[in-house]
Amino acid sequence: MDSMILSKEKMKDFVAALGQQKLYAPQKEGETLRFSLLGEEDVPELDFSNTTVPPKDVVFPQTETLYQYELGGTDMKEPEGGEEGAVMGIRPCDARAMSIVDSLFSWDVDDPYYLERRSGNTFIGLACLEPCVNCFCTSLGGAPASTEGLDALMTDLEDKYLVKPLTEKGEKLFQKAADVLEKATEEDVASAEKLHEEAAAKVARNVDTQGIPEKLPELWEADLWKDVSNSCLGCGICTYLCPTCHCFDIQDEVEGFEGRRCRMWDSCMFGEYTLHASGHNPRPSRRERTRNRINHKYSYYVDKFGTIACVGCGRCIDFCPVNIDILNILTQVKEAL
Amino acid sequence: MVDLEKLRNAAKEIVSQDDVKYLIGWRDGTFGFRISPHFMESPEEADKLIFSPLCTNNLATYLTMAEKLPIPRGEEPDRRKVAVMVKGCDSRAVVQQLVEQGTNREEVYIIGCPCEGVVDIKKIEKKFPDVLESVEARWENGQIVLKLPGGEQSFPREEVLAQKCLTCRYPNPVLADTVLWDEVEVLGVEEYEDVKELEGMDSKERWAYWQDKISNCIRCYSCRNVCPMCYCEDCVLERLNPTWMFRSVNVAENTAYQLARAFHLAGRCIECGECERVCPVDIPLMKLNRKLYKEVQEDFQFEPGLDPESKPLQASYRPDDKEDFIL
Repeated sequence: MDSMILSKEKMKDFVAALGQQKLYAPQKEGETLRFSLLGEEDVPELDFSNTTVPPKDVVFPQTETLYQYELGGTDMKEPEGGEEGAVMGIRPCDARAMSIVDSLFSWDVDDPYYLERRSGNTFIGLACLEPCVNCFCTSLGGAPASTEGLDALMTDLEDKYLVKPLTEKGEKLFQKAADVLEKATEEDVASAEKLHEEAAAKVARNVDTQGIPEKLPELWEADLWKDVSNSCLGCGICTYLCPTCHCFDIQDEVEGFEGRRCRMWDSCMFGEYTLHASGHNPRPSRRERTRNRINHKYSYYVDKFGTIACVGCGRCIDFCPVNIDILNILTQVKEAL
Repeated sequence: MVDLEKLRNAAKEIVSQDDVKYLIGWRDGTFGFRISPHFMESPEEADKLIFSPLCTNNLATYLTMAEKLPIPRGEEPDRRKVAVMVKGCDSRAVVQQLVEQGTNREEVYIIGCPCEGVVDIKKIEKKFPDVLESVEARWENGQIVLKLPGGEQSFPREEVLAQKCLTCRYPNPVLADTVLWDEVEVLGVEEYEDVKELEGMDSKERWAYWQDKISNCIRCYSCRNVCPMCYCEDCVLERLNPTWMFRSVNVAENTAYQLARAFHLAGRCIECGECERVCPVDIPLMKLNRKLYKEVQEDFQFEPGLDPESKPLQASYRPDDKEDFIL
């Protein structure tokens, strides 16, 4: 399928043309931008640098009920799933993050919850034309218009979007709305490409990751971890807002006789995360925890799945209340190697 | 007047004392308007210290955050002092910790920095979203001067200062072992305008307002962790048996969490505003805290964090205490 044009004026018609399908898109909730299910009257908010909360919660919800039960009974009730939907307005970095995390969720045992949502949804990206101050996607094999993990890519051309379907799923979705789309001209395609190149040149921060995955564990006892962790508050901002962080906890929640087993995001920055039932904690202080966050992303994940589990979206830098800056840490790592 | 040379010299001297473990101050951050807490163990690191309108962090929180790892048999715990730089509001946190015996007076050295108000980073970054180079800032004739890449710009206080600073009545440290420069004039008046606005709503409207805000909470616990008054070793949130609050992130559990936090801060919150500053999803937490602050002030004529010799509100009783809220 060739590239198409979606006029901004026709956004409402486009959403309507998708019909009954669930559509997730960035929505303003106060000052915070995050992905949510679009209501009938809602229009996607597509004029942004990046969302505060990454779209990972569409495929990996912060809290998810695995099954419900009654105390004393043996029956389990699983929630119905499997409805098809689409996610619109994903930045290429966040889409890449999903494709990186796919390897984890389909590793030794397939994770049906995650994988069902991954295959049931169509992922429509929105090329990033104005990278934020802490973006560094280009250092990690990404780009402001990367297509990895996406079914279609949109590019903002002022009064319209250039839409480029990338997979069969993407084509199918846009065919549904063929009536509101127009054919793209060669100029449209060329101007989008030019914008993509310009955006890549605007990415201001970077790190050379060469050698980091292999050598990082050698710095196990380095002073650097103490320096980094001194100011760490041990909160969950960096991990919860990270598009590749994927750790979860499973808990039984019982109210009266009704119980549910659910899983929810967990964070390796919490002391409780590694606390053993015996009371022993192998990561007893923030030094070990901050060290783990960097090692997991830049070394362990590479060992296991062959790719760095960081896409350079910059959220952990933007939102850290005490200015713990992963690029600064990586620079120190490079110097120490 | 802020005098950086004086500050650095004082820091060098203090950190060289035998009875001081380390000093916590502020230094330039890695980009734009951000600053970073600076932990220094030796005088050589003093040259990085700064004090400017960008020094928002309340460093008193680190006094109770130091991890107490098991001490090998035969070794004594290190009871040397931690030196900490404090603004007026931060000093109130130290005082309240002393009142509650969360911190020992013998183990802390308080360096007072009279303060003309710190910026609201969110406000400033909205104005200047793409600044990568580290920005310097200073107070000058009641204005805030920012040294931006394109040249210096001055702003009136109202335009860039954090809300807590515009109503601040305690810009000078209420307790300090050394004060670095002259006290500053108190400019803030507390009218509780935003709290009154909420009080003016009927309960349904108010419920809807908070449900809307609190539904955004992602339970990262940054508000709890950054709070200098939230230092329980065993937090009610982490209890599993009994489970007081579920980990499920939904509006009911988030509300339980935020209300529990607010209640636990009644008569204890010293209005440093850190919870609201760090919240990644912009929940106006200080409105809750300030409502309780106002209640405590009106009903018990009590303000926390002013007098290290005072008793905690909940541990004090006067026969004429108001009782009309008891059913």
